This record gives sequence, C-alpha cells and structure tokens, in this order.
Amino acid sequence: MKIIILGSGQVGSSVATHLAAEANNSITVVDTNAVALRDLQERLDIRTLCGVASHPDVLKDAGAEDADMLLAVTNSDESNMVACQVAWTLFHTPTKIARIRATGYQQHAALFDNAAIPVDVVISPETLVKDYIARLIEYPEALQVLDFAEGRVRLVGIRAHHGGPLVGRPIRTLREHMPTVDMRVAAIFRRDSPIHPEGETIIEDGDEVFFVATREHSRAVMGELRRLDRPYRRLMIAGGGNIGRALARTLEESYQIKVIEHNPLNARRLAEELDHTVVLNGDATDAELLAEENIEDMDVFLALTNDDEDNILSSMLAKRLGARKVMCIVNRAAYVDLIQSGPIDIALSPHQITIGALLTHLRRGDVVAVHSLRHGAAEAIEIVARGDEKTSKVVGRPISKLDLPPGTTIGALAREGEVVIAHGDTVIRTGDHVILFLTDKRRVRDIEQLFAVGFAFF
Amino acid sequence: MIIDALIPPQRVRLDAECTSKKRLLESISQLIIEPDAPSQLDSTRVFETLIAREKLGSTAIGRGIAIPHGRVEGLSRPRGAFVRLKQGVDFDALDHQPVDLVFALLVPEGADSEHLNTLAQLARLLSQPSLCASLREAPTPEAVLALLAVNVAAVGSVTA
Repeated sequence: MKIIILGSGQVGSSVATHLAAEANNSITVVDTNAVALRDLQERLDIRTLCGVASHPDVLKDAGAEDADMLLAVTNSDESNMVACQVAWTLFHTPTKIARIRATGYQQHAALFDNAAIPVDVVISPETLVKDYIARLIEYPEALQVLDFAEGRVRLVGIRAHHGGPLVGRPIRTLREHMPTVDMRVAAIFRRDSPIHPEGETIIEDGDEVFFVATREHSRAVMGELRRLDRPYRRLMIAGGGNIGRALARTLEESYQIKVIEHNPLNARRLAEELDHTVVLNGDATDAELLAEENIEDMDVFLALTNDDEDNILSSMLAKRLGARKVMCIVNRAAYVDLIQSGPIDIALSPHQITIGALLTHLRRGDVVAVHSLRHGAAEAIEIVARGDEKTSKVVGRPISKLDLPPGTTIGALAREGEVVIAHGDTVIRTGDHVILFLTDKRRVRDIEQLFAVGFAFF
Repeated sequence: MIIDALIPPQRVRLDAECTSKKRLLESISQLIIEPDAPSQLDSTRVFETLIAREKLGSTAIGRGIAIPHGRVEGLSRPRGAFVRLKQGVDFDALDHQPVDLVFALLVPEGADSEHLNTLAQLARLLSQPSLCASLREAPTPEAVLALLAVNVAAVGSVTA
C-alpha cells in the first residue's frame, strides 16, 4: 500500500517504523522538521519530504495522487483536518485518518464525513489510552483487557496463579466446573513462548493466558485462573494532563481519586473541573508527599505524566511505599521492556495502543478492530466474514476445517446481537464478526487472504 | 452484438498512463460515466464503490487482467469500460503480475444471478491468452470492441 504519513512525531515515527517493516508498503513521511526526518530516513526504508503537511503542492509531491491512505498525525488538529480536506478534494485519497485531540471536535461525529470534513477515521490517542486504563481498573487481575464487537466480547490477558481452580488442570475441565460459562483460551505464553491451547492443555502456575468470553462471563473465567482480588476503590493519579484528567472524570463517580499535578495553574483548573476528585499540587516523585497522602492505602497508583523517567520513578516509589498496584505510561519502547519484570505492575505504551487503532484501517478486508499485544509481537483481530460458500474460503465452513495459519485461534463470533464462543464445529456465516488471536503477527497477511472474497463476489 | 450495449467506443481508452491502482480506479470511474453522464451516476460514488470492493479482495484474475466491479444504485442496466495501460500497475493480484488490461463492470442493485453470469462470462472471455495478446495489440477502440464481440460468440453471449 502507498501511505503518506503527515508528522514525524512519536506516533508518526512509530507507525512509520511499524509499516516500513511490512512488505509491499511504500511510505512517505512529511514534516517541517528536517532533522527529525533525516533521523527517520537513516533508520528506515522510506521517503521523506520537508514541508507544510496540508499544502496541496506538498501533498502532491508526497505522492497524494497515487496514495491509498493518508495518516495525518501532526501536532495540530487543524492541520490534520485541512490536510484530509485537501487530499480528498484534490486527490480523492480513499482512506484518510486524522489524529484529533481536542474533545470539542470529537463530540460532533457529523463533522467528519466526505461531505463535511473528509476524515474517515478520527484517532484520539488520549481517549484510547484512557479507555484502556479504565478497563484495567475494572478488572484488577488482568494484564490486558480488549473490547470486541462493541464491547460484547472481551479478550483478557491474565497470569494464572495457584488458587485458581483451573490451574494445574486441562482446559476442557472448565466445562464440567462451570457448565453455564463458555469461553475459549486463545493463547498461552509459558516463559514467554507461545503454546497452542487445546482441550487437553494443562494450565500451569505463571502462564500468561489470553481468553475470549462475553463481557458478562469474563470475571467468572478470571476467577478460574487465579484467586480474585477485591475490586479497586482508591486510586492515585500522578499527572493531570489530558489522560489523567479524562480518566479522573470517567472514574470519579465510582472510585475515590486523588490527582497530583505539579503545575499550580493546571491543578487549580482541574480542581474546578472535577466534582469528586481531590486535586493536590505537588511532585509525584516526592516520597514525603506520597506518604502524607496515604499511598499505602491506595489500590492503584497511576503515573500518567508525559515524562517517562518521572513516571517510572514515582511508580517505583509508590510501590515501595505500599501502593497495591502501580501502572505507568512509558513512551520509549526500550523502557517498556526494561521495567517489565521490575516492581512496576503494568507499563502502558500509548504508541502501542494507538498503533492498534491505526492498524485496523491498514488491513485489507472488512476489519473492524486490531489490537497489538505483547509489545507488538502478537495481534488480535476482529474481521467480518463476507461472501458466500462459493466466494469465501471461510463462510459455510466449520472452524475445524479452516486453513488457519499456525499460531492462530478463533476465539468467538459476534453474530447479529449474539456472541458465539468458537468451537471446532461452529460454522461461520456471512456477516459474522470473527475474533482471532495471532501469536505471530507476521501471519496477518495469511488471515487477510483467507478472508478475502473471491473474484465473483459482487 | 450485445457487447455493444455494454460498452460503446467512448468508454474504451488505450495506452493510458497510470502509476497506481488507485489512480487507475479513479480514471476508470470517470470513463465509465461517459458519454451520456446520466445524472444518477457520479464518478466519485463509482470510485468509492470500486475501492470498497477491492478492499475485500482483489478483482485481478491473473496474467495482467483485472475486472473491477460493483453494484451502483440508480443504474438501469450494466455498464462497462475498458482501459489498456501503457505500463501495468500493481493490483494486489495473486500471481503478483502487474495489471495492464482492465474491464470495469457496474451493475444495478438486485438481479443477482444475471449479473454473476455476465461477470463470469467476462472472466472466461478475458482468461483466453490469445484474445488478451490481440487486445494488447489492437490499434483502436473499435478494434478492441470487435475483438471482444467476436470472442463473445466463442464463450456464449454476454448478457447486457
């Protein structure tokens, strides 16, 4: 695919790196910062162009006449929108994705239409990260919780522990134990290596298990894999920026929240804006402040500032001072790996979360959602089966008869308002949303081809 | 000959220059609304239809041939357009061959089996290597249409 990326900031360069690694992509990155472009050019096999992203001549030089997709991720919402407008009006660019941060724009879906502001997909990294954290808070035991089929199906990543009734026993015994709950184990990682899960597979203590279940059953299944923690009640958030503020606003009705914000002006504004949240002006890396605010009583400490080092330090400190669980935002990929096995319970990478949202629209086929997992090595996909028995290689066939690439598991099907947990004899129908887990994301091309409709599809 | 009804000479373009699949679909969308350009057919809508269909799976049939197609609301009968490129473009074909011969087909909504039949016949027609070789050499739009018409007889009539 020919893709133009506008903006070489963190998201722009991460996505360029990701896309340049995939075969058959031709990428052009546009930015006004020549130095940043040169760095990128040295690392990646891409074209770069220095110029103002929304200018028609710049877009033309970047190859807009041939591009399949425009990804507008400059720092300015307005530049991103104008670039999409120019690309559509002058070049008919089929797919236009823009990062829009200001919530004022996002509140009006009618703005984004080919007849108004032609943006096909609006991406808001802050909202994505906020929703992601909110789901983790809802499920204290989970390493990762992802929504599919508009939230009706969930993929949950969880570490199995002694005390969970299913640990030390074959997966199939869950049926006997909980006859009314259906779920599918999509993948197991044992000491970081994937194991293909089957009915006879015995779950061991320490396994990282990914399972698919309905939203209602998720928590019950988690209880089979480890003893359930008591739900969270008290949260402390370091950093009252976009994410911290949005998270506090979303959760303040259901949790007791304290926010630590170092900028006095921001702190005051935040205090006015939030109704039930305690806002403190101070430094989250200050041990005395944390102790004074009873960090030891906190169920979760979340470091959400835009400074990686501050986030890592304050999280480690909070953990040592007795916070039950600590999560922190880390932008640099090298740090994410570094802290994974340390005292920090969950490292959140906004890029990885954003990339998942972007990948959705880079896939061939009727893909509804893509989530990047395990630092980008694995992927979970929701794709719609199209065509009929003649034009599709999946429709009308039982799952056991599909030619799935190795390391791929179908977890569930969302079908007209019902959720069907996938078993070998489940037959796929046209229009089904198929939720798949790939332990190796390099297999994604095989999935695209498996779901591609034949020539005769109208 | 029924192929005349599907595609008049005005909708045949020879030795067009295109640098990408996207631009090829764009130009064939403009060509296919010619010459009468009925008000209900809008090239942008046609383009969006063809792009959406390609996203689900390529309409390339191999050996440099593609038959992009789609249903368009308000169309009273099938419409075709033919483009021969000077140089082939990547069309996501299974055989990875660049595509240089393109027959686009638009059909009205509904009437499934009839359209499927037309499409199947077109595919059969254009999978004859000898015909494609002649199409690559044909000097004029009229010559292209004559070649298609003669060969239609061999594979059964294309219903228009």
